[in-house]
This record gives sequence, C-alpha cells and structure tokens, in this order.
Amino acid sequence: MTAIAPDRARIRFCALGALYLLLAAPPVRSWLEATMSGHMLVQIPLLAAIGFAACRLLVAHHQERLLAIAGGPIPLVVVALFASSWWMLPRALDDALAHPLVEVAKFVSLPALVGVPLALAWRRLGIIGRGFVWTNFISMLAVLGWLYLAAPQRLCNSYLVDQQESAGWLMVKLALLLFAAWLGHLFVGGPPVGNPRAVHGP
Amino acid sequence: MATYTYEHTPDHGAKAGVLAYLATSAAVLLLMMVFGLLMRLEQAQWISIGADRFYELMTLHGAGMVGIAAIAGASVMWHFLRQYVDLSSRIFIANLVLFLAGVVMILGSVLIGHFHGAWTFLFPLPGKSMGMWSPGAAALFMGGLLVIGVGFLLLHLDIARAIVARYGNFARALGWPQLFGHDDGKAPPPTVVASAMVTIVNVIGLVVGASILTMMLVNLYVPGFDIDPLLAKGMIYFFGHIFINATIYMAVIAVYEILPRYTQRPWKSNKVFLASWTASTLMVMFIFPHHLLMDFAFPKWMLVMGHVIGYLNTVPILVVTGYGALMIVYRSGIRWDMASKLLFLSLFGWAAGAMPAFIDGTITVNYVMHNTLWVPGHFHTYLLLGMVTMVFGFMYYLGKPDHEADDRLLDRIAFWLFTSSVLGFTLSFLYSGKESVARRYAAHLPEWVPYDRIGAVFAMLVIASSLLFIVRFFSRIGLARHDYQRAPVARAATA
Ligand code: HEM
Ligand SMILES: [Cu+2]
Repeated sequence: MTAIAPDRARIRFCALGALYLLLAAPPVRSWLEATMSGHMLVQIPLLAAIGFAACRLLVAHHQERLLAIAGGPIPLVVVALFASSWWMLPRALDDALAHPLVEVAKFVSLPALVGVPLALAWRRLGIIGRGFVWTNFISMLAVLGWLYLAAPQRLCNSYLVDQQESAGWLMVKLALLLFAAWLGHLFVGGPPVGNPRAVHGP
Repeated sequence: MATYTYEHTPDHGAKAGVLAYLATSAAVLLLMMVFGLLMRLEQAQWISIGADRFYELMTLHGAGMVGIAAIAGASVMWHFLRQYVDLSSRIFIANLVLFLAGVVMILGSVLIGHFHGAWTFLFPLPGKSMGMWSPGAAALFMGGLLVIGVGFLLLHLDIARAIVARYGNFARALGWPQLFGHDDGKAPPPTVVASAMVTIVNVIGLVVGASILTMMLVNLYVPGFDIDPLLAKGMIYFFGHIFINATIYMAVIAVYEILPRYTQRPWKSNKVFLASWTASTLMVMFIFPHHLLMDFAFPKWMLVMGHVIGYLNTVPILVVTGYGALMIVYRSGIRWDMASKLLFLSLFGWAAGAMPAFIDGTITVNYVMHNTLWVPGHFHTYLLLGMVTMVFGFMYYLGKPDHEADDRLLDRIAFWLFTSSVLGFTLSFLYSGKESVARRYAAHLPEWVPYDRIGAVFAMLVIASSLLFIVRFFSRIGLARHDYQRAPVARAATA
C-alpha cells in the first residue's frame, strides 16, 4: 500500500470530519432518521465508513501499532461484528431516537468500534478473511431484511410497518447487489499470467 | 487450431488430508449403504422396523450420502488442483473438522431427537412434526447442515483465492479469452476449469442455502416470522440441486487427470470443452425447477425454464467428457486396470443416470413419473455408477502398488459384480417407477414388493463389492502417500 502524502492526508481527514459534522447536524440528522431506510441504510453505514476511511489515513506504522495492541485482526473483526450487529437491532434504533445519550453512543461507537477496527484488521485479512467478512455481512443483511419483511408486527416503536417493509426490501436488494458485485469482481482484473499449465511440475 | 501435447507431470502421492477425506467418505459410505439396504428390506417386508425408523434412516441416508459425496469430490478436486495453484492445507482440514461436527449434530438430531423430516428439510415440515420430534431436534439438524455449509464455503473461498492468485481472475480460469477469442492453446487445464465452475456455483448455492436455513431456524422458535413456503422450496431445491450436482463435477477431475496418464495423450481444454463448462456454470443454477413441474403454484416461467434447461444441461459436459474420454482411449493401447476401468465405467454410469432425468424432465412423462421411485432410480445411477465409481477409481489409483502391478482376481470379480449389481439395483428402482410406485413410502403395496425384494438382493451385492474396494483401499493407504508412477504405459506409446 502506498503511503499518502501528509498534506493530502490532512485534506482528506478534514473532509471526513466535515462529513461527520454534517451527519451530526440536527437538520440532516432528523432528515435521515425520519425514515427507517435513511437511518439504517444511509446514516449508520456512513458513520462506520467514516471511521474506516479515517483509520486508513493514519501513518502505516501507527496502524500496525494499534493492530498489535488489539491483539491481531481476529479480535478486531469480532468487535466490529458485535458492534455492527447491535446497531442493526430495531430496539437500538428506537433507543437512539428516544435518548440523546444513546444517540451520542451511536455516533461514537459506529466509527470507533466498527469502522476503525475493520480498517485495522482489513490490512491483515487475506482474501479468505475478507471473503468471510463480506459473505457474512451480505447474508446478515439479506436475512435481516427478510426478517423485517416477514415480521408479524411492528418491530420499532418509532417507525411504521410500511417503513419497516421498505427498509426490508432495500436490504434484500442491497444484499443481492453486493453479492453480484462481489462475484463479478472475481471475474475481472488481476495480472496476466504466464504458462497456465503446471506450476509444481518440472 | 491450437495444438496440445501431453506433458508428463510427476505423480504426486496424496497428502494426509486427502486420505482423511477419503477414509471418512469410505466409512460413512458403507454405513449409509447399510442404512439404504435396511430401507429396501423394510419395503420388501423382510424386516419390520416401522415407519418412523424408516424415515429416520432415510433422513440420515440422504444427508449422509450427499455430505460424503461432497467430501469425496472435494478430496479429488483438492488433490489435483494443488498441482496448479497454492491451496491452504489448514482450511482443507478445517472443512473436514466442521463436516464431522455437523455430522455429529445431525446424528444426535436423528438418533436421539428422532428428527425425520428428510435431508431436504422442506418447509414447514421441520417445525410441524405433530409431536414426532421437538423443535430442538429440528434445530440441531438444520444447525448441522449450516455448520457443514460454512465449512464448504471456507473451502471454496480458499480455492477462489488460490485461483485468482494464479490466473488473475475467474474469466481466465474458465478459459474465456480462449473461448471467445483466439484459442492459443494456453487455456487452463481441465482441472482448473472444473474447479472454477464448481467454486462459483457452490458459493452461490451455499449462500442461498444458508439464508433459508437461518430463516427456518428463526421461524422454528418465533413462528410469527412467516416464510412463504413456495419461496422456501425454491431456495432449498436451488441449494440442494447445485450442491449434489457439484459433487460429480468435482469427481470427474479424476477422469481428466488420470486417464491421460494411462495413454500419454493430453486432455484438451479446447473451445468445445471450455464452452461446455461455461454453459453448465449457468445452467446448473437454473435447472432445479425440473423437480417442480407438478407444482402448479410455481410461476409458469420457472417451470418452462426448468424444462428447457433440463434438456439442455444434460448434454454439454457429459457429452464432451464422454467424447473426450473415447478420444483419449481410442487406439491408445491403454492397459486396463481397476483404476482405469472404474473411471471409464463412471462415465458410462453418469450418462446412463442422466437419461432417466432427461426423460422425466418432460412434462407429459412427469405427470406419471413424478415422485415415483423413477427419481431415486435416476440419481442412484449417476451417483453410484458415476460419482462413487469415480471415487473408487481414484482410490484404486492412489493405492496401486506400482505401475506394472496386476489386479488380483478378486478385485476383477468385484468390478463386474459391482457393475452388474448396481445396474440391477437401479433398474429395480426405475422399473418400480415405471409401475408408479411412489418414492418415500415406508410401506409398500403387496404388488410392489417383488421389485423391492429384487432391489434388496442387488443392494446386498453392491455393498459386498463396495466393501472389497474399500478394504483394498485401506490396506494400501500407506502406499497412497508416496510419489511414484502409478499408471502403466500404454502399448501404443511404448511401441
Ligand atoms: C447400496 C447402496 C444404496 C442403497 C441400498 C440405497 C437405498 C436407498 C433407498 C431405499 C432410498 C429411499 C427410496 C425411497 O424413496 O423409497 C434411498 C434414497 C436416497 N439415496 Fe440411496 N441407496 C444407496 C446408495 C446411495 C448413494 C451412493 C447415494 C449418494 C451418493 C445415495 C443417495 C440417496 C439420496 C439423496 C436419497 C433420497 C432420500 C430422500 O428421498 O430424502 N444413495 N436410497
Ligand atoms: Cu434434478
């Protein structure tokens, strides 16, 4: 991975900070949180993505040091998994809307406990680990979306059933799209190869 | 036209992991065959274990056989693919460990929890047992399948990683530059093409399977989360059909790799070969509705698709592989031994097993044959005489003492016994199907019983001959690890 020039990094960092503040600004916040889809599928992922991108801007050896402190990529992935699962639960959304303190926790934990750990771990995960994170995420998205569609009653106090349904459909569609994209990316790119017949041969 | 020459590659012995896979498969195969025999004996009214036991055995037999077919196929694929790409031994072993964990869960669910909703776990049966088994037993069964699925997903992700590392991407691994452009003769070898295809379809199938399993697990405990049964059936068949079909696409790699060593002729990945594998990559995913032709509630386009693709997909790989094998063998002076004979036989078995499916995929026939023993007749032919025979051929190959070694008389007799008894066994299924004997019935009408008895006798002979193959494999398992030439040199090549 090539290091980014320090001044470029600073500009990007500021841009991320601005985006974060924008998301936190009351009008944008209430606009996104007005619908379940906006809340779950725009605001929450963006918060995690900001953490991810910000962490990638750190100097490489700082990232390495953090990774070492955390004890390697696996614990980090586990933390990210739990933190992100938590914010997928309907009642977590309700709480965030009802209690300002939970809302703050959301704004802090998504970048810090989902984005950053994933970014740190990502460098060390091979294609297997990344594939595992992706397939796990995609199937979770699909199943959760489906659960929202199949749910017998309203799961959130703050959102109506039609909200729940449209969020469910969006999640299922998004999962299908992501899966297709992941498969598709296996078919393109990669360096050209030499003699494709034997490798271990004579 | 590209030219192909045979490049001699040294013959590698099997890694311990491959042998562990094969040993597991062989042991489970025998046990499941005995369970199959018990089912047949029950239908033949020679024993009486009762309907509940029958369906427990049927559930174990289905799940166990499909599982070990995948394990055995994966071992063939992994063994040969390793010549071309760098595979991870740890993941390979992890898959076996997860598989065994899943098997323990399934055994517990069936033997202790008395789950008997069949390996197809069709919704809503697992959750609606009318008191025959608890939700816990059903959950254990589906959880076991889920664990096994996760193992295979890992294995395929590793294969995908290795293929991408070596060939850049899957388009190249499937030989698309040569298929759609100029064939420069540098398409990847058949083993890589087949492994790429299996990896793509299985990853898709497993993700769909895992989704429906998870949903059904949720539904088991919170029935309020409703599942559309039609959607569930579609997803289960999508997953199950891909998974079982993939086993033979993995095992056939043994044919691609071993037969050329006998005749010193290359197996060409030419345009026709590449086209057939690419076509089947797509078709194998859309073929499953041919099992649903009588489900009027399914959308019509799906049934039409199943009908058409069911016809089309019978052809490519099978014909191309059969023709390829004939070309390799024809006037080659091949010296037949157990391995080469079994591998050659397996192609015949595959073809013979595909024919009944082709016939039954016709809607007018399906009116009569649907859910009769015709269907087990079809898949036992291609699985026993095709898939399992490929694996037996691979086992004999690995255990061959040296390239000049002659087969024992007993093995030669077992070969013919196996061939004829499998045919007898499967024909008794097919004939019963033609007589409209329903499948999955524990108790049969008196007029069906004669066929069941014939089938049961043949099943015993199948087990006897398989037992000999397997004992031979275990007695030679020490040899299987070493690197030495196993294939006898064809007479034409020495002349
Ligand atoms: C000696 C060998 C075998 C015997 C005696 C045997 C016997 C049977 C019997 C009696 C059934 C139930 C048929 C019915 O619906 O009434 C069955 C089903 C089945 N068998 Fe076998 N079988 C043998 C080998 C195999 C092999 C090698 C495979 C796969 C690799 C296999 C896979 C299956 C499957 C998937 C089913 C369907 C179960 C279901 O309907 O849920 N069998 N077998
Ligand atoms: Cu089929």
